[in-house]
Amino acid sequence: MKIDHRNLQTRIPVTDDFISIDNSKCTQCDRCLVICVMNLWKKRDDTVYIVDDYTSHCLECGACAQVCESDAITFRFPAGGTGIVIEQG
Amino acid sequence: MKEYDIVIVGAGPGGSTAAKEAAERGLKTIFFERGRRPGEKNSSGTGLGPRLWREFDFMNEINSEDCPSIREGRAARNYMVDSEGKVTGYIMTTPTSSVEYEPAKSWITLNCYRSDFDPWLAKYAVDAGAELKTSTLVTGLLKEDGKVVGVIDEKGEKYRGFVIGADGAVSMVAQQSGLRQRWGQKQVTLTLQYDFECSASKIDDVMGDEALAVWWSATFPAAYQVFFNSSFHIGFGNWMTWWDKNPVHYLNKVVNLDYFQRLIRVLDAKPREFQAHLLPWLGMPENTHTDNVILIGDAGGFPCPLEAEGIYPAMVTGRAAIETATEAIAAGDTSKEFLSLYDDKWMATSVGEDFKSGPELQSIWMALPFSPRKSMSWFVPLFMEILGGIIDWSEAHPVRIRQVARTIRKYLPQLVPFVIKEVIPLLTSVLGEDRMDMLTDPEKLLTEMPEIEEALAMAFMQDEEED
Repeated sequence: MKIDHRNLQTRIPVTDDFISIDNSKCTQCDRCLVICVMNLWKKRDDTVYIVDDYTSHCLECGACAQVCESDAITFRFPAGGTGIVIEQG
Repeated sequence: MKEYDIVIVGAGPGGSTAAKEAAERGLKTIFFERGRRPGEKNSSGTGLGPRLWREFDFMNEINSEDCPSIREGRAARNYMVDSEGKVTGYIMTTPTSSVEYEPAKSWITLNCYRSDFDPWLAKYAVDAGAELKTSTLVTGLLKEDGKVVGVIDEKGEKYRGFVIGADGAVSMVAQQSGLRQRWGQKQVTLTLQYDFECSASKIDDVMGDEALAVWWSATFPAAYQVFFNSSFHIGFGNWMTWWDKNPVHYLNKVVNLDYFQRLIRVLDAKPREFQAHLLPWLGMPENTHTDNVILIGDAGGFPCPLEAEGIYPAMVTGRAAIETATEAIAAGDTSKEFLSLYDDKWMATSVGEDFKSGPELQSIWMALPFSPRKSMSWFVPLFMEILGGIIDWSEAHPVRIRQVARTIRKYLPQLVPFVIKEVIPLLTSVLGEDRMDMLTDPEKLLTEMPEIEEALAMAFMQDEEED
């Protein structure tokens, strides 16, 4: 059974940026790449980045910032009343 | 600037309980929710246990009209999954004869979506007079002379008052008050789950009064399956240090078990939603308060150290926080020192009782069901050898008993260190050292174990040749 878990969410469009990475602090431990259940972190030429349309997929779990012990990733929640809507939690 | 006695960041079960308790004491209270309504940003297992009814009378009023997702049950199913992903056995359990609390003799869990439960609970706070502000993200703490005196929302609006951080695992209040930048990687889990919709009558037929199933496994962390009225969750979590591959890879291993697929077909179930969240899971909460600030529920690290139940501890600590704040406000002293009363209060509850053995409870769980390849890979076959080995007609029964015993002996090199490292410390913590000494002490056991092993080896050596 193949479940497309990335399309099993409801959300209200997010208008602000709420995750960022400071590449000068990033040690390329790649833990954010492993932990993100939506695969929103990528790496190209030794640079870790978050995909452009992350606000359309992010589950707001905060795992990326939690595993980033070099404090490169900044996470806060999107503006009130926007983002993920969990209907059957 | 708006003035309040109590400002609560978060309207989950902890925040709403705190808001209700505060408003009932006549304190001017506001509580914030970043979603459009409480529960919109939350996902859980979500089982509510009898302890909630013991502590909170209003739980008797919960009903399927307000919360249509409700399903109650008196039984749990436990599947054992081996290293090849085969279900090698399962056991149904019901409340045992040692249960003393009368209502808990007939049920173990009431399951209810957070999208039902959180708004239902928040209404009690609003009815008591607390002000609920939804669709509002609290972005910062208001400080004067370096001390927290209130909060600031995303629009720059300021609210002065005693601050309760009920804002979950990723707590802005904890961060900005200096209580915690982030969790240690072994203090928090990533928990993910699918919601499957299916027919209510099919769940009735297939599961009966089994409202919960646990998939104990040698290939993925122990997974819970919680049944609601016409749906179920299948999910699990593990500490941040454990994940070597994307967590979804492991969750799909559960869903793709042959046995699980059969269940999906029988229940005519379809995946409907996928959710993930951080769930603090630690042996002992630390840094629970500072000047004019108290952390409750997940924000304070209060999920149960054994199985990470979060709603009950959130509600209990929410109440303890308001009792503390009320005394602090009356005394005109909301200093960190005075607020240490909060730790005394929650430690005196049944949540505190759990944490008295918290490090041992957390450790054994981390070492067994959440170390599938390291521990469950021997535990599942050992357990099933004991349970299922005798239901067999391949040999004369005495021969079978010898075969089973020999196989069990094979697992002793794994079992014995586990018992010494995990089980004995837990029993010592629960029973006390004096009583444990009556049974044995680890040192003694360690020195005698090689002899016991040798004795067992001798006893079965002949059989090995014989069979």
